[in-house]
Amino acid sequence: MASRSRRFGWARGIGIGLLVVWSLFPVYWALNTSLQTNADAQSSPVHWFPSHFDFSNYEAVFGAGPSSASGAGSIGRAVVNTSIESLGATLLTLVIAVVGAYAFARLRFRLRGVLFYAVLATLTLPVYATLIPLYKIMTSLGLVNTYLGIILVYTSGFLPLAMWIMYSMFQALPPSIEEAATIDGATTLQVFRRIVLPIVRPGMAATAIITFLFGWGQFIFPLVLGSTGATQPLTVTLSSLEGRHVVPYTIINAAAIVAIAVPAVIVFFLNRWIVDGIVAGSVK
Amino acid sequence: MTALRQRTRRLVVPRGQAIRRGRRETALPYAMVAPLLVFIGALALYPTVLTAYGAFVHDDALDPPTRFTGLGNFQSVFNNAQVRQSLENTALYIVFGVGLSVALGTFFAVLLQRRFRGRGIVLALMVLPWALPGVVEGVIWSWIYDPTFGVLNSGLKSVGAINHYQLWIGTHQLQSIFFISVVQVWQITPLAAILVLASLQSIPGELYEAASVDGATSLQSLWRITLPLVRPGLAIAAVEGLIMSLNIFDQVYVLNAGASTASSLMSQTYEIAFQNLNFGQGYALSLLATVTTIVLSLLTVKLIYRKVEF
Repeated sequence: MASRSRRFGWARGIGIGLLVVWSLFPVYWALNTSLQTNADAQSSPVHWFPSHFDFSNYEAVFGAGPSSASGAGSIGRAVVNTSIESLGATLLTLVIAVVGAYAFARLRFRLRGVLFYAVLATLTLPVYATLIPLYKIMTSLGLVNTYLGIILVYTSGFLPLAMWIMYSMFQALPPSIEEAATIDGATTLQVFRRIVLPIVRPGMAATAIITFLFGWGQFIFPLVLGSTGATQPLTVTLSSLEGRHVVPYTIINAAAIVAIAVPAVIVFFLNRWIVDGIVAGSVK
Repeated sequence: MTALRQRTRRLVVPRGQAIRRGRRETALPYAMVAPLLVFIGALALYPTVLTAYGAFVHDDALDPPTRFTGLGNFQSVFNNAQVRQSLENTALYIVFGVGLSVALGTFFAVLLQRRFRGRGIVLALMVLPWALPGVVEGVIWSWIYDPTFGVLNSGLKSVGAINHYQLWIGTHQLQSIFFISVVQVWQITPLAAILVLASLQSIPGELYEAASVDGATSLQSLWRITLPLVRPGLAIAAVEGLIMSLNIFDQVYVLNAGASTASSLMSQTYEIAFQNLNFGQGYALSLLATVTTIVLSLLTVKLIYRKVEF
């Protein structure tokens, strides 16, 4: 028994080593490239480590240094845009989803079932179903190239999953706490605000984190909804720099590392809640 | 105690106030779900109806006016060789995407099933690719795949696996799709692993103990206990992989750079609607893709999913 578990011990060790290399190597490679000069990055054989740390690519990304003239300066602006759009959509999604999910999970009202399934059904809708009409709707409302337009579209896309995660969190609460408070004379809104919300704070955190990560990575909607640079998120800016051979690959990799840094910090510190949220959101 | 409080409360609260509160509370649920319904109705359900309707309307910015055309859009897209190629490519993206992400995700889940020191950190590292934007992944992998300076070429050449540097994406159809698919697999494997891991952890430990007492080897336990019981997790992971591969766009947009060699259904739809401005044909493709997504998801669940009871 002991020998068997040891034998599987080293096999597991190799497997975990592979897992770590597979998950981390592409990010490491971008980081490694971003800290090299263009000449080093184009040498053969490749440099597995930077020979000395060169931060000029990051200076270029944020509009400083000699390379900033080459179009890389737009990346700093794009980081701000991505932050505004994903934070805005996260806040709006969270408020609407939490309030709506509570009503669906706990309150009794006419048409509850029909409305609930109507919302849930949109969870299965792929991007295809709404892409062209949303572009046309936003164009006719004059919301193309605005933060508001992008935030509204993101929110409509994120709401079904956020509502579903919060719904399963509310369902998991024992109703006795709310019943006791109601008996003590608290109104439904008081029960919701003072008792339920504090308890489901972890669930709200999971929902907010997942929503924010979705917002941070959005591409096709902002590509379609923002043809000028003013509201362009990082993803769209990066894709337009890539492949044009105008901006050196070392700077593009530095910009990629900036785009990776925020999700990486979130994953590293808030990983548990992400896993909980994914599980709550997909076990249907 | 509670009963006493309840009785006092009933005495203290004047009747009229209780009734007023009751009436206000009947409107409350509707007020709470209203913002949700407005968003979903106006920006998800209504657009879907527009897509379904638009598929049967001639709507071409370069050839106005808009007019009803029956199945005209569908005929045009099926007569388009690039669309047919993108359909074939998307089928390959699905095969690679679902197959690789579920296999690799199951492998990772089995590795992480039992507790060990540093498991939390390994889990966090595993989740990382899932949390990154698809475009950014395309960008960093395209540098890895680079035909002149890429680490893949350099590494393979130094171990003698290739004689000269390769152009991984752009010439050969199957090879291009495989290498683009790998980037998406890198992104969605963590999701598959988490879903399979969640159902692995719902398996009671006694089953393994009993099997081990009966003399089963670890491999037998894996085959006879673990795999049958993780079917629900596998089913959900397969469906998620299917939907992601059917919708693959970001990685294709960045890595394939507009060539039709490895175009996907989504990149083709984008090109028809937003480059050629033929919205009608874009709607037709979108409707097909939407219906396919829903039908394939339901089928996959039906095939693999079995309710598991212990």
